[in-house]
Amino acid sequence: MSEAIKLDGVIKRYGHKVAVNRLSLSVKEGELFAFLGPNGAGKTTTIKMITGLLTPHAGTVDVCGHRMGTDGLPAKAQLAYVPDQPFLYEKLTGREFLYFVAEMYRMDTASRDAALDTLIRRLDMSEFLDRLAGSYSHGMKQRVVLAAALLHQPRVLIIDEPMVGLDPRTVRTVKDLFLDITRSGGTVFMSTHTLEVAEAVADRIGIIHQGDLIAEGTLEELRARATQQHSLESIFLELTGSDDEWIDGES
Amino acid sequence: MARVDIAPAGVGLLVRMKCRALLNQTREIVEDAPVKVFATTGFIAMIWYALYEVFWRGFAYFHIDALQSAVAIPLLFNFFFVALLVLLTVSNAILAYGSLFLHEEAAYLLSSPLRPRTTVGLKYAESLFFSSWSLLLLGLPLMMAIARVQNEPWVFYPLFLLYFVTFIPIPGAMGLILAWVIARHLPRTARRALACGACATLVITVIWGLRSVQQLDWIQEDWLDGFFARMSLIQASILPSTWVTRGIEAAIDNRVGDAVRYLVVLAANGLFLSWIAVHLVAGGFVAAYDRASATRGKLERPACAASGGFAGRLFFFLPPPARLIAAKDMRTFFRDPMQWSQLAILFGLMSLYLLNTPRFTLGDTPSRWTAIVPFLNLTAVSFILATFTSRFVFPLVSLEGHQLWLIGLLPYSRTWILGAKFSFAMVVTLSAASGVMMLASYILRISFVSAAIHWMVAASVCYGLCGFAVGFGGRLPQFEHRNAARIANGLGGTINLVASVLLIAVMLFGMGYVTWRVGDRGITTRTDGMIFAICGLVVLIGIVAGTCAMVVGARHLKRVEV
Repeated sequence: MSEAIKLDGVIKRYGHKVAVNRLSLSVKEGELFAFLGPNGAGKTTTIKMITGLLTPHAGTVDVCGHRMGTDGLPAKAQLAYVPDQPFLYEKLTGREFLYFVAEMYRMDTASRDAALDTLIRRLDMSEFLDRLAGSYSHGMKQRVVLAAALLHQPRVLIIDEPMVGLDPRTVRTVKDLFLDITRSGGTVFMSTHTLEVAEAVADRIGIIHQGDLIAEGTLEELRARATQQHSLESIFLELTGSDDEWIDGES
Repeated sequence: MARVDIAPAGVGLLVRMKCRALLNQTREIVEDAPVKVFATTGFIAMIWYALYEVFWRGFAYFHIDALQSAVAIPLLFNFFFVALLVLLTVSNAILAYGSLFLHEEAAYLLSSPLRPRTTVGLKYAESLFFSSWSLLLLGLPLMMAIARVQNEPWVFYPLFLLYFVTFIPIPGAMGLILAWVIARHLPRTARRALACGACATLVITVIWGLRSVQQLDWIQEDWLDGFFARMSLIQASILPSTWVTRGIEAAIDNRVGDAVRYLVVLAANGLFLSWIAVHLVAGGFVAAYDRASATRGKLERPACAASGGFAGRLFFFLPPPARLIAAKDMRTFFRDPMQWSQLAILFGLMSLYLLNTPRFTLGDTPSRWTAIVPFLNLTAVSFILATFTSRFVFPLVSLEGHQLWLIGLLPYSRTWILGAKFSFAMVVTLSAASGVMMLASYILRISFVSAAIHWMVAASVCYGLCGFAVGFGGRLPQFEHRNAARIANGLGGTINLVASVLLIAVMLFGMGYVTWRVGDRGITTRTDGMIFAICGLVVLIGIVAGTCAMVVGARHLKRVEV
């Protein structure tokens, strides 16, 4: 399988602070990669570099073989990005927004309607899709934005905190959608604090801490690295040192 | 896996989407808040008509004398379009910076398969659209007034409108480039830089203009030569404002050929400058966005106790819970350039006008002018304060909605929230108003009694307006919004604005009557007791109105569930 996302020696600084430090990482086609880390570890910065919103100070980012920065347009046409704060045009209805996205990706009407029907059904959006997006709850917005991301069937889905604000049924649907994407050869790069979700669906997991990728591999490989730890939560706390700090703080 | 055509969509798709959003918004406003539409339309019509009257009377006055008309009218147009050039450049820079480097939409479009040129082109078109208010609000009354005075033929109207339409892209393009330069090189303090830049530009422009006029010796016969020599800078042939002015002059004189020539010059330069601006900014958009977003909000500030520091000490007279909230609002006020710069610009311009007022008076002879000026100052101060309280004070209670889980759980009455907001607003508005009123009294040598009376009325206006803004804010809160501008533009904000204007109108009517009654003498210790009684009544109206609004707001806020 070829690499869908490849970061090579990526460095990003904010002033004197190094947010991402020589990050090298590759995610293959058909893989679901969970990107974990404490707050401020550099997850969102990494995602923004993959999507072309930020430019690395050093290193390269490739998406589907296209270099972000010099060959960004073909790369962006192959990926979809769902940020942690979902963006919608508040004065468009959800359906109008989805039509807009479809047109932006040059989808023809028939394939747009077919894809939209499936997504409306799976994400249970029929109740509110024709209302203005300004009236949506966070969960509704999240569902519409997710539908917009999946509408053009991207080869790479980048998603930041996908489960925030979703009810348990939608969480289950989203997990199933992710699995469907990877089964059909697509790639999902997911940043999350919901360790149970990562544990349940991720093929591989990367843990970033203070800008450094401190661990990467399958859940089994991470378990092998950690000392006598079984759950992803325990492994995460041990590797990021949070467990000790918490205990020290408590004592 | 479906393949997608990677040929990126053009700006047409984005424009269609924006039009759809605008249509939805218009429909929503008309259906949900017809009162707001009616009130807004009414206010715009009133402002429009007032401007038309001012322009028409001004042109008619100059038109009495042919020489006066030939000298003054082109000069007025020159001043007008130079001011418009500066203001539109600054406002376009602010709009472009916000939409390209701050809003979430920019990130969304940047991560989509669109060329940066498409995004920048859309944002440029948007800022031009928003700049068109100048055409609607200022251009049309100006055109109608000059056409009425000069009895212009029909061809004048389309030419004049075309001058405006072709002129607007020039400051628009300069604003776009300015925003990009600031994002590229000054991202850490971009909003502050923009606000300070806007203040400095206005102040320098006004000082230069006033100095140019002051330094003339009006008695000498060659004053006209001196005057024109000083005005030559704003009449330079390189300035787009000069092209518009000369074009309009040609249109007024029915020289259609010359008028069209200037129009073509304007259109060509507007298009060329727009093309350069869009391509330049698009080429460096990703880098500028990266730099602006990477450093945004990372400015560290020295910490102090919540009720400590200057802000805390300023509200020493408040009990602890209200002091905390008022100090927090004061810190927010000073850290948000949009708030303090608006007040600083308005009161700064007024102070400059006051500093230069004696130069325009004829000697030191007391006249009707000295009696009227305090009233005019009071009028200007009142309307500036109404703008400030409606835009910045009214949303304060609504903005606490997301923190009510915290403030609402404190062992204090919610009334303290209103008390704190009111205290904050009073300190800001009364400080600004008192400064200007005292300056006016000192410069114009207004009698102590008259100055004291007008200051008391100004303080009462502050009380009434702050009471209205806080009280209506508590009675008609919009807790679902986090955007202060949106809250101020909502139904509650509109009602507050209308009520504030009505309150000012009533109070100014009273003071106008007083000014008319006392005549040239002004208010002194020998003035009739009835006059003092009317002044007292005016002060009382402000206090009672503000207090009533606060009580209504407090009662509702106690019951409200978030």
